[in-house]
Amino acid sequence: MHKRILGLIFLCLGLPAGQIGLQAQEFKLLDRTVQVHGFVSQGFIYTNDNNWLTMNTSQGSAAFTDFGLNMSSRVTDKFWIGAQGYDRNLGQLGQYHPSLDWAVADYRFKSWFGVRGGKVKTRLGLYNDTQDEDFLRAFALLPQSVYPTDIRDATIAHLGADVYGTISLARHLGAISYTAFAGHRSDSIYSGYAYLASEFGLYYSRYGGLQYGADLRWNTPLKGLLIGASRMNQDLTGAGKIVNPLSPSAGFVPETERSKTDWINQFYGEYTFAKLRIDSEYRRFVNDEDDLIGDSVLLSINSDVRGWYVSGAYRIAKRLEVGSYYSHYTIGHVASGPLAVLFPDQTNPGLPANHVYDKVITARLDLKRFWDVKLEGHFMNGYGSSVYPDGFYPQVNPQGFKPNTTALVVKTGINF
Amino acid sequence: MKHYRLLPLVAVVVMFAAVRVIAADVKLIANGSIKADMISATEVKSVFLEEHSSLRDGTHVEPVLETDGPVHQAFLHEYLGGTDDDLQNYYRALVFSGRGSMPKQLGSDAEVVAYVVRTKGAIGYVNAETIVEGVKTLTIVRGGNDAQRKLITRVEPEYPDTLKRLNIGGTVRLQLTIAPSGNVEVVEVLGGNPILGEAAVAAVKQWVYSASHSRTIAELSIPFGSHP
Repeated sequence: MHKRILGLIFLCLGLPAGQIGLQAQEFKLLDRTVQVHGFVSQGFIYTNDNNWLTMNTSQGSAAFTDFGLNMSSRVTDKFWIGAQGYDRNLGQLGQYHPSLDWAVADYRFKSWFGVRGGKVKTRLGLYNDTQDEDFLRAFALLPQSVYPTDIRDATIAHLGADVYGTISLARHLGAISYTAFAGHRSDSIYSGYAYLASEFGLYYSRYGGLQYGADLRWNTPLKGLLIGASRMNQDLTGAGKIVNPLSPSAGFVPETERSKTDWINQFYGEYTFAKLRIDSEYRRFVNDEDDLIGDSVLLSINSDVRGWYVSGAYRIAKRLEVGSYYSHYTIGHVASGPLAVLFPDQTNPGLPANHVYDKVITARLDLKRFWDVKLEGHFMNGYGSSVYPDGFYPQVNPQGFKPNTTALVVKTGINF
Repeated sequence: MKHYRLLPLVAVVVMFAAVRVIAADVKLIANGSIKADMISATEVKSVFLEEHSSLRDGTHVEPVLETDGPVHQAFLHEYLGGTDDDLQNYYRALVFSGRGSMPKQLGSDAEVVAYVVRTKGAIGYVNAETIVEGVKTLTIVRGGNDAQRKLITRVEPEYPDTLKRLNIGGTVRLQLTIAPSGNVEVVEVLGGNPILGEAAVAAVKQWVYSASHSRTIAELSIPFGSHP
């Protein structure tokens, strides 16, 4: 950890001292221009009480690194290809296991109709497909009620295809952009969901399934105002091993998980005026699943996760932007079956175990056009400990949870 | 005597030129492969935001931008809205989410012109007074139902000899009222050199658009001084 902090300090002190420039690279391949872009970021989080995001943050943790590199090329007027690799380490998650973030072949027949296939980033709300690229925003961490970074795998991309387009509306009514998608989601076993399951003695070897849905956004005639809605349905299965609490002497036995109902609805709006940006989103996630050993259902859980936020950011100087948001997250679940006694129902969102309310202030300093540093304060009430991950994990909080958490986040990153 | 007569004219022209130094006028230039002579302001925005990769007539287009400076700032202000940071973030969101490429960005008018000359479908912007050769200068139409009114007859404005000799150009902004029959009923000068404005009005009054059910108000920008 100390090496990472030293590296961060070195980066902060070293880059401005030199006249280092960083820009996108291009080269020619088969008479086509290939663009190369990348980013890397390093963060540090210190919390006063609970450990957060699977890091040992109460001692201060710099296990908060990610980077990506992509190449793309326009093959013809209408045909474009590209791919991006991504890797991260976030406490116990990621652990530097690289992944193919996206790899796309995109054919745009008309402005109003195109098709892209491969591993495609999923368009869901304002920021799902750009959630890793924090250099696009004032904030180091997006509102975790809607974009939980510990379970980014759940929504980030699908192996399948999209149809998309933009339609200009007559009579100056703005433009509608649509995306419809279908494909297969595949979670890393180093994601938050698998990590939380390990707390209950369940170790996933695979988790994923079908995802399909659509996003519709309207650039309204009112300059700077965008509104939209997204919907995603899922049909998921998981497979792993578990020690059955009802017969522990049998040791590990195969376990499967099947979703019966699984969907996300998201509604959003964004308004930009000069140097001011205001946005707000609401997401509801409903999951009804069975956990089985053999053909026997040991546990059925119906979870209802709701999150929303209101965010504002203002650039007060060319290189300085400030912002604030309020993020509101609640979770409830009802369990049935032989193991339900281990997962008491959570139905009162007012309890700290069933919510996370996060007030955030941030400042972003652009040291160079390609390099930013962010300082962010999170003032959280609640820890939302449940059957679904939400930033606070029992494994890294063996002493139990305290109701309030204050976090200092420092993050720096470069991109080209 | 002849020279004395010219003095007020030169003074007016110099005054307008000075104003333009503060707030740069831009003109849109395109590679010869682009068929259209006119483009709506809405289309300009959607092309430069990579929402549209072709014009209404189906011609493929590829935007090219300037990296910074007064021409770039004027173009942002006039056609895209937002700051350069907003624009760069917009492009980076496309690049890192697998939805597009970063458009070509060049450091000067000369580089943009050279790129547009040699690149099929390229469309860029330069200072309105930059002398360009080998490219097309597009007329930008604003407002009204411009998307529905096709220009059928176009008469090119005459570039006054005196200004041409002095190598003074610029962009004239006009507001037109187009009758349902397609004839241009009223032309009003919104901005630009008044002498060039007179020439533009005289030409545009002869233009004929496609017929429509209703009267249309549209805005045009007509560049002088650098046609190929």
